[in-house]
Amino acid sequence: MKLHLTINGKARTLEIAPNALLLDVLRAAGCKSVKKGCGEGSCGACAVLINGRPRNSCLVFAAQCEGADILTVEGMGTPEHPHPLQEAFIKHGATQCGYCNPGSLIAAKALLDRNPSPTVEDVKEALDGNLCRCTGYVKRIEAVLDAASLGKK
Amino acid sequence: MLKNLTHVHRPSTIEEACALLAAPDCKNIALAGGTYLAESSDTTIQGLVDLSGLDLNFIRETSEGYAIGAMTPVQDIFKSKLLKGATGHLLKAAAGRIGSTLLRHSITAGGNLVSVFPWSDLPPALLALDAEVQIRKGIPKRTVPVATLLEKTPREFLDKSELVTEIHVPAYGATTGTSFTKFAKTANDYSLITVAIRITVLQGLIRDVRIALSGCTKKPVRRPEAEALLKGQTPTPERLANAAARAAQNLDLTNDFRASKEYRSEILPVLIRRGIEDALRQIAA
Repeated sequence: MKLHLTINGKARTLEIAPNALLLDVLRAAGCKSVKKGCGEGSCGACAVLINGRPRNSCLVFAAQCEGADILTVEGMGTPEHPHPLQEAFIKHGATQCGYCNPGSLIAAKALLDRNPSPTVEDVKEALDGNLCRCTGYVKRIEAVLDAASLGKK
Repeated sequence: MLKNLTHVHRPSTIEEACALLAAPDCKNIALAGGTYLAESSDTTIQGLVDLSGLDLNFIRETSEGYAIGAMTPVQDIFKSKLLKGATGHLLKAAAGRIGSTLLRHSITAGGNLVSVFPWSDLPPALLALDAEVQIRKGIPKRTVPVATLLEKTPREFLDKSELVTEIHVPAYGATTGTSFTKFAKTANDYSLITVAIRITVLQGLIRDVRIALSGCTKKPVRRPEAEALLKGQTPTPERLANAAARAAQNLDLTNDFRASKEYRSEILPVLIRRGIEDALRQIAA
C-alpha cells in the first residue's frame, strides 16, 4: 500500500506493507538515527515526533501515519548546525555510547516545544520513557535545562 | 507481527468503521493507539480499522461531568486543564501512571479500557467513578456502565460491529475525595497492586464509597462488601482498617515472577486503608 507523509519537512510517498512498523519504514527511508532497542516500547531509542507528539515508533504501524508530519533527529540539526539541544548534550557530556541519544533528544524537543521553561521534575517526566545505560540521567537533565535557558537568550 | 494482515482501513465515519468491523468474510479489528497490536502475532487478523479519522479525540464538559473521546491519548487526560475536582484528580492520577511519556502519547483512553490488561491503570479509576461508556453500532448507540463492560472482558461483551466511542465520567462535589495508588517495582513497570478510591462524606457520615482494585487480579474488580461496611458510618480508624481487610479477602490474587500472591495479600489491605485515608484527606483539602 502507498503511504503519504512528511519526513523531516520533505513530502514522501512510500510503498509499505500493511503490517510494517513506522520504525522499520523510517530506517529504510534513510533515517538511521531511529534505533531499534527493545522493540516493545520500554527503551525509547526509537522515539520520533508524530504530528508533534513523541511516540515509540516501534509500536506504531506505518499505516497509521498517512498524512502525518514526522520528525527524527536528522530533521533537528546537522553536524555543521546542531540544534541547541544537541549542542547542550555535547557540552554536558550527556552522551556515551550514543544509542539512546536520538530518542532522548526527540523527547526533550517535544518537552521544550510545549514548555520552554521546564523544571527538573518536568525534564525527568518528559524523559521517563528513554532509558540510558551508560552515562545515567543527571547529565542529560542538565543538558536539557541548559538548552532551555539558551533558548530564552 | 501481524503476519496475515492485508488491509489497513481508514474510515472517516463511525458508521463506516462499524460496517468494516462487521465484515463477515474478513477478520477486521479496531486500531486505536496500536501499542498492543503492533506487538501482536495474532495470525487471524486480516484487516485493521484505524479509528484516528473519527474525531474521537476530545475531552468535554457535559451537564453531568465529562465526556472523553475513546481516541484521546491518555497523556491528554494526564495534562488536562479541563478535568477538575475529585473526578479530575483520580483520572489524572491514573492516566499519569500509565507507562512512560512516550507510551502515554500513543495509548488511548478507549484502548486502555477495551483491551483491559491486568495492569491497565485507567479501568479501576473508571470503576471507582461509576463511569459509563457510549457504544455505537453504526447509528444505533447504547450507554453501559464500565462495571458492566468489565464483568467479562470488553471484547466478549461487545458485539463484533460495536465500538466504544466515548467514556462518560460524572463530576463529584467538594464533599467527595478520591485516591489512586499504583504499587510497582519501578515508576513505569506494570502494577503489582492498583487501588482506586472514591468516598463522599456528609455531616461526618460516609454517604458513598467505591473501592476498585487491579494489578493483583486478572481483571479490575470492585469490592461492594467492604464498601457496605463503610456506608452510613463515621470513618473511624478501626472501621477503615476492617473495611480494607474485608476488601482484600476472597480474591484470586496473581502469583507471578514480579510478586507472590502471599506478598500481595500482605500489602493489599495496607494500600487500601491508606487509599481510603488519602481520599478522606482530599475532601478536607
